[in-house]
Amino acid sequence: MKYFWIQLLLILGSVSMALMFIRTWSQAKNRAWKRIAFSVFVVVNVYAVLRPTDVTWLAQQLGVGRGTDLVLYVMVMAMGFLTLNTFLRFRSLEKKITDLARTVAISEGLRHNDARLGQDAAAPAAAAAAAATVPEPGPAADSDSASDSVKA
Amino acid sequence: MSQYDDVWLVIPAYNEGQVIADVVEGARKTFPNIVVVDDGSTDDSAEHIASTGAHLVRHPVNLGQGAALQTGLTYALAQPGARYFATFDADGQHQTKDVETMVGVLRADEADVVLGSRFIEQNGQVPWIKQVVLRTAAAVSPTARKLKLTDAHNGLRVLGRAAAAQLSITMNGMAHASEIVGFLAGSGLRVTEVPVDILYTDYSRAKGQSLINGVNIIFDISLRERGRR
Repeated sequence: MKYFWIQLLLILGSVSMALMFIRTWSQAKNRAWKRIAFSVFVVVNVYAVLRPTDVTWLAQQLGVGRGTDLVLYVMVMAMGFLTLNTFLRFRSLEKKITDLARTVAISEGLRHNDARLGQDAAAPAAAAAAAATVPEPGPAADSDSASDSVKA
Repeated sequence: MSQYDDVWLVIPAYNEGQVIADVVEGARKTFPNIVVVDDGSTDDSAEHIASTGAHLVRHPVNLGQGAALQTGLTYALAQPGARYFATFDADGQHQTKDVETMVGVLRADEADVVLGSRFIEQNGQVPWIKQVVLRTAAAVSPTARKLKLTDAHNGLRVLGRAAAAQLSITMNGMAHASEIVGFLAGSGLRVTEVPVDILYTDYSRAKGQSLINGVNIIFDISLRERGRR
């Protein structure tokens, strides 16, 4: 029972990390919470530097021996959140880069291939001309409309 | 004019300069419409592709095979008269006669999507360790089981227009094979497997996926739906 509070705290931290991983929050809400967390972190930081004994007191209340240990535990949790946040950020960036690169690749490809393969044979040239004038039916993908407008 | 004017071959290529031109020209004997997606190759792949009669689409940076396939499909879908879309490997391990068979199945309206399988008819060409792993992958994957697939990671597929338009590959890396199977399982499209021969040449063996990459695939797939923002 001695370690109940710190155990509860650490488990809650882990569980909320898992939740953050699975659930999708709205961007703005999420950002607001991160900012609040950061502000709290700064305030607690200053306080802990000024009155280190209070940290030890809090640690003992939670069942942890020294203030240093408590700080270490909290740091492990913070590290976990940070890693997760970075991972999610990277992935959304990767998606953006993919969409961007695909749009560029296709619009460039259409331009070059028309020029390169146009004189290949009479039939493909006609087809290429048709492709240039007829608005493409398209797979209704959002990235496509972008490439169409570039072409036009 | 050929009877395969409505078929588009989508070939993702990453640093395949050695073989890509031969593969493309070989395939073009049967299939006039080919789009090769050069996935930001650092070798001279693009020049080799440009020397052929295939359409060339170049990713400005390397994104991965899944991304290249999606780009090629998007490009081919925008081409007039395209009805069937085949994904084909750049290393020469797939054969056009298999694609002809698969297109035949689609033309007969027996399915919406045809996947190649190395295991329907045993031809003894697949290295045994790879057989064990691939068969296990097909057996444990709930989606592959649902579709009764024997080979969930074959790169040779032919999709009808409806299927190709619905498909949206988000896994840029190698996990796209599982993603495609997952999509097909949930899509209600009719999926069939057709036996295909894979030529395991020294080149394709050297270029092929190592089995350890399976760990990456499992990891990617398990994270796919998590925390999308």
